[in-house]
Parts: sequence; structure tokens; C-alpha cells
Amino acid sequence: MAAGTKGAMSSTRPAIRVSDVRIRHLDSLIDTPDGVSFEVRPGEVVLVLGPSGSGKSTLALALDGLVPHAVPATLEGTVAVDGVPTVDTSVAWLSERVSMVFQDPDAQIVTGTVLDEVCFGPENLSLPVADVLERAETALRQVKLWHRRTENPDRLSGGGRQRLAIACALALRSPVIVLDEPTANLDPVGIDEVYAVLADLVSDGSRALVLIEHNLDAAIGLVDRVVVLDREGRLAFDAPVDEVMRDHADELLGLGVWLPTATLAALRLRAAGVAVARLPLTPAELTALLDALPGRAAGPALPAAPAFPSAPALPSALPAPDPLPAIRVTGLRVSRSRTELLHGIDLEVAAGSFVAVVGTNGAGKTTLLQAIAGVVAPPRGAVDVLGLDPARADVRRLAGTIGFVFQNPEHQFIRSTVADELAHSLELQHLDRSEIDRRVDRMLQRFGLENHRDTHPFLLSGGQKRRLSVGTALIAGAPVLALDEPTFGQDRERAAELLDMLKQLNDAGTTVLVVTHDVQLVADYASHMVVLADGEVQAQGPTARILASGALEAAGLRAPPLVRAMRAAADPAWHAVTRLRDLDRVAAS
Amino acid sequence: MTDAARDPYAEAADHGPLRFLHRLNPLAKIAGPLPAMIVLIFSHDVAVPLAFIVIALALLIVGAQLSARSALGLFVVLPLAVAVLTVSFGLWTDASRVDSTPVLVQVGDYRLYLGALGVGGTTALRLAGILLLSLVAGLTTTGPDLVRATVQQLRVPYRIGYTALAAYRFVPRFGYELEVIRQAHRVRGMAGGRGPVAGIRRRIGYVVPLLAGGIRHAERVALAMDSRAFGASPHRTERHLVPFRARDVVFVLVFWAATAAVVIGVMNA
Repeated sequence: MAAGTKGAMSSTRPAIRVSDVRIRHLDSLIDTPDGVSFEVRPGEVVLVLGPSGSGKSTLALALDGLVPHAVPATLEGTVAVDGVPTVDTSVAWLSERVSMVFQDPDAQIVTGTVLDEVCFGPENLSLPVADVLERAETALRQVKLWHRRTENPDRLSGGGRQRLAIACALALRSPVIVLDEPTANLDPVGIDEVYAVLADLVSDGSRALVLIEHNLDAAIGLVDRVVVLDREGRLAFDAPVDEVMRDHADELLGLGVWLPTATLAALRLRAAGVAVARLPLTPAELTALLDALPGRAAGPALPAAPAFPSAPALPSALPAPDPLPAIRVTGLRVSRSRTELLHGIDLEVAAGSFVAVVGTNGAGKTTLLQAIAGVVAPPRGAVDVLGLDPARADVRRLAGTIGFVFQNPEHQFIRSTVADELAHSLELQHLDRSEIDRRVDRMLQRFGLENHRDTHPFLLSGGQKRRLSVGTALIAGAPVLALDEPTFGQDRERAAELLDMLKQLNDAGTTVLVVTHDVQLVADYASHMVVLADGEVQAQGPTARILASGALEAAGLRAPPLVRAMRAAADPAWHAVTRLRDLDRVAAS
Repeated sequence: MTDAARDPYAEAADHGPLRFLHRLNPLAKIAGPLPAMIVLIFSHDVAVPLAFIVIALALLIVGAQLSARSALGLFVVLPLAVAVLTVSFGLWTDASRVDSTPVLVQVGDYRLYLGALGVGGTTALRLAGILLLSLVAGLTTTGPDLVRATVQQLRVPYRIGYTALAAYRFVPRFGYELEVIRQAHRVRGMAGGRGPVAGIRRRIGYVVPLLAGGIRHAERVALAMDSRAFGASPHRTERHLVPFRARDVVFVLVFWAATAAVVIGVMNA
């Protein structure tokens, strides 16, 4: 009802007008964003893009007045909601006009049942009980959680909890919803759930969304307009999605902004000499582009096509085969509190390979990794890492054989300076002081931490913490590195930075074992994949073969966007392409 | 299933008129037994704790829907604990005050008198009594209902009550986080040897990452609550009323009367 009247008079007045906004956090010396202006019109979906540190999340907090009302920061310029500057009103008044969905679903839940959670906002507005319940029911039905209203939110999946957060925003009946990285903590199934709900919400045009999202493949189909910030937090673009993404893709890449996979693929084709008139944004558009390439019907227009008989023949899919397995797992069974989580895992990891363990939440990925790395002692004789049984090894020998990097680097920091943190496992090995110093210096240099030698590890930036955690895992000379969800909750830029670093280590001979649910990212780096489902190995082998085999779908995952686009192409020659760099080869040969 | 059984937020179930404790206001269930608990702190007579134990057990057996776990605790673990405490407190008792009673056990110079066991038993029963009286409310009340009652009847500001409830959600999260931190420190070789000093050092090492994570989480939750207008107005809609009815008044008064009767009865005896 409210949305209807608003929609009628909305063609003139923007829902939110941001004018020359500069925000400086209490402990910061620079403004990010820095002088940004744009409008959010009723019913419009606005995507905000920008590299790490450009102030996207800060901007999101300013749109509903949390900056400056609840976050210690100074705001210059104005954010006007419905024509009212946010500084002149209260967060409560704003909550009925602009509602928020945050990144971490767990940090938004405050009550004990799904229904109470959705009622929380309307109750705070002191609405009559009947209205509260009516709003809650409507919102829960919209996100398809009404049948689970009596349950504890903890029992929902990650995607379910994020849908609940969206329902909470809906119950406030605000014409604008701001979503700050709503899918960064979700697995692919959860991401799909959230975007199915969002697509449904915007279909009638009654609600505007402001999306801050790094997962462009999922989001781009909904977006009307894109606002891009540069590294300094200044406005780089503010235009319809087609104009920004299709006409300025190269500039966006230069700014450090991630692009949809389909767009990246087309850029690679274009660079390799294939004529691409209009850049695609979605997998379907990429497929259409491939099918429309000149001479398609006439046969092998691309010289490379005949060179791709089947996936395993791809040179990139076959790293030098190593007869010596670095890790051998035989019949591994692991139980926790009387439930068997892994049901007899058999696995071999060749020395020098880069292996990604993928699977849905609860498939047993982390449990497997922890057993291999001895974080949780496996049954004796089930795991062999370079001749060492983690079940019997002491910490010192284990650290010299396999390094483990936890999902949150903070969890594993145990000393009060960066240098001590690196020196720790060397001290356990009772090395010479001079040798320890030498190795620590080398490691500081290698990971770009020379200037932070005496800094407390907790005071490093997110990316530095991650690098330090990898450095500590490697310094004792471990030839095997195991990482648990290293890209979880990070933006694309950080994730790519980390994977590039792992790639370098791998090129230098380190065997890398990564647990992840980010299949696309891994497809471009891993030489091998292990697909887990319900505590069993569903498939294992070279990445290209696994991606092409349909094993991901069988395990409840989705093939990455590039694979989906390629598989749908009419010419079977494309079907073998699973990574962006395969495209170079297609066009080059 | 087990998750649901332990769900601290599960809706307060109604188990019919006989299980009347579930239908009482949480504050009544605390106010009623409170004087009796205070009496137990100061009493030295075995009859007083015994009387209150009988009263509390009778209330729980009739008025509460006991799960198998609670029943096991009440009827097996608690008596065992009382027995163990009786002997332990007995061993601690000053023998010179009870050496007029018969000797039960003699090992070398050491004599355990019957009187010592009597003193130990009284202390154990007093503790058991206090525990049982608190369980009258504890086993029949949910956390949210207690918060609602404090907000609705005791006029505790809702901002405090509901923030406390939200903070309660942190507990399992912190438990999980602590477990991960312990694992991480163990693999890093932070075991640091055995003994109490190493143990304390180890635990101090857990505090920093736990606090860092906790503060960040709390800030996020606070923002999420603010953005949903929490604390905006002096009142908020309450969908679940937890009224203080005539039967709550009756329960409190009867309990107080029974407490007075026990005390006077024992003093006269």
C-alpha cells in the first residue's frame, strides 16, 4: 500500500539522493568515499562496485543513517532519504525507508525463532500486534520460510538465514533495501536461494535495491544501474548497467573491479583476435555470442576447435605426473559425537599438485582436511603425509611436514609480534638464533611484511593477516600446505591475491590442498579436484575432467558460470573449455 | 531432535493444568522460594533442609514436566552428590566438636565420628535444598519468558532485557570459536607443557583472539539491531504477554506461608 502511493509520485523524487558525500572513520586519515554523488530512484536496482578499500560498505552504512548516527565517523555532504537529510533524523525513522541486509547472517539474528526474528523490527516500531503478525507472515512467505517459522534460526542453512535477514528487511516495509555483500558467506546453493528471492522481490518494481556484491555472475541479471568507485573512493561511473559493463569493461578492470565471468571470457577472446561486438554479461549471453561467431555453421571456424577432442587432452589439465603421492588416505572414517562424518575416504594427492576439495556445506570437507593435517587426530594408519602419520606425529614434526592455515587467520596467531609469530615454529625446532633470524627475514620479505616486523599480528590488515598465516604455516619448511576455506567472506580482489600467491608457491614445488566452495575461483588454479558429498568421495581427478564430467552437479554443487556457458554452446569444440586461460589457447592455435 | 531438546529458545510448552508450574509467571517462581533459600543459607538444623527438599521435590514431581535428563539428575545424580558431599564435609568437620558421638571409622589416629557425618549431611542437604528450590523456576521457565517478565513486571528497560537476550546467542558461537582457537593453537605447538602454569598461559593465549572476534561480532549485531529501529521508542510491542495473575500471587503467598510454617515448626521442636 505504502509502496503503491510512493511509486505513483516517485518519478520525480529519488528514494535516496547522495550529494558530494565524504566519510572519514574516527581512526582514519583519509575520506572513503570521497565526494560521491548519485541517486537511487524508486524501484531501481543499483549495483555499487569498487576495489577493496574504496568505501563501499561505509557508503552502505551511510544510506540508512548508521553513519554517522551509530558508527563513529564524520559525514560531509548529504544523504537525503525521501528528501530528508539523514543527519537531521533518526536511524529509527530511516529504518522504515531504507533497511539493511548485512554480510554475516549470524550477526543479524537476535531472537530465538524465525517468527520472532521477523517481528523484531515491527515490534520496535511499536506497531499493534495484529499488524506485526500480518507483516511477518507476508515477509516470511515472500522468502519461503513461513513453514519454518517456529524453528530456531540456527537450524536454517546459511542461505536460509540470509533469506531470513531479507524477510526482516521486508517486514519494515521500506521502499529501499541495501544489501552489503549478502552472499559472501554462502555456498553456491545459498547464493542461488538468495538471488531467487531477490529476483522475485524486484519483479514488480515496487522496491529499490542497492547491492554491494562481488559475485557479479549471480547479481548482474537483476541490475539496472551501476555506480563504480575508484581506489580513492571517488565516483568513477554512474550509468545504466549496459553502458558501464559493456562499454567500459577495460577501465573497470584497470580500477581493480571484478567483472562477470562471461565478460572476462569475452575480453580474452577479443584480445586473442576474435571479433566481439557487444560484451556479454551472463553465461547465456556468452553462449549466444559463441553461437553467433561468423562461420559457425560452416564448420570449424576457429582453427583451434579440432585440437580439442576431449577435456583430458588439454595440456593445462595435465601437470607433470608425479609417481610419489604426497598424501595418501586409505579408508578414513571420522566420527564426531557419535555421528560418522567421513565414511571411508580413499584419496591420493600427487606431490607438487594443487588440489581443491569441494562440496556443499556439511559434506565433510573441513573434517577431511583437519584429519589430513592432524588438526584433529585421525585414526592411526589412515593418513600418510610424506611418510608421516599425523595420528602419531608430534607438533614439531607435523609442522615441518604439513602447514595448516585456518579459515580465520586470527585464530592461529599466538605471539605478540609478526616476527615472533614467524619464528615460533622454528624456536620449537631449537634452531640457531641466527638461522631463525635469517629465515624470518626471508619470509617477511617474501610476503611483503618487512615494515611490520614488530607489529602485533592483530593490527595487520585483512590481507596482511592472511599472508602472515600462510607464512607461519610454511616457515618450518613444510612441503605441503593445507588451507581451510581461505577465500570465505573475502572480496574477489583479496581472494585472487591469495590464490595467485598459492599458485606461486605451487610453482615452486609446494603441494597445495585447499577446501573451498568457490568453484569458479578454484577452476582457474587447481590442477586436481576432489568432490565430496555426504562424507564420501564423489569424484577425483584433473580439474578439467571433473568440471566437464557433471560430478559437481551430482554432489549438489553448480558448475561455474564459464563451464555452464561453454557447455551450452552449439559447437561441441567449446565444451572442453573450463577456464579462462583455455580460451587463449583456443584463439591462439 | 537433540538440538530441539536443548534449544534454549524453544517456545514455552504448556503441559496441562496439572503441570501448573509451567503456567506461572517466572517472577512468582523465583519470589516464592526465595525466602526459603535465604533460610537455608543460615540454618544449621537437618530438619529445615529436609522439609524444603520434600516441598521442592513434590512441586517438581507434580507441577513440572520433567525430561528424562532432568529426572535422572534429580533422582540419581543429586542423591549421589549429597552422599559424596556428606562424607567429604564430614571429613572436614572439626572432630573436637563431635567427639561425644560414636566413632564410625578409625584409621591410626584419625577417628570419623557419627556427629561429623551428621554435620556434613546437614550442609550437603542445605546445598541440595537451595539447588532444588532454584530448579522450581529453572526447570519450568524459558530464558525469553524470564526476560519478558522482568521487562513487563519489574519495569527493567527493554533495551537492557532484549540486549541481554541477544547476547545469549553469543554463547554457543563463542564456544565454537574457542574450540577452533584451541585446535589452532595446538597445531601451532602452543601446548607449552603440562601443569597449572602452562595451562593458565595457554588460556590467556585464547583470550585475545576470542575477544577480538567477540567485539567485532557484537558491533555487527548492534548495527543490525539499530538498523531495525531497536531502542527507537520508549516502548515496544510485546506479542507474548507474561501476566502476573491471581494464581501467581496465591503461589507466592502459599510458598511464603509454608516457609514460615517450616521455620516455626522446627524452632518449636
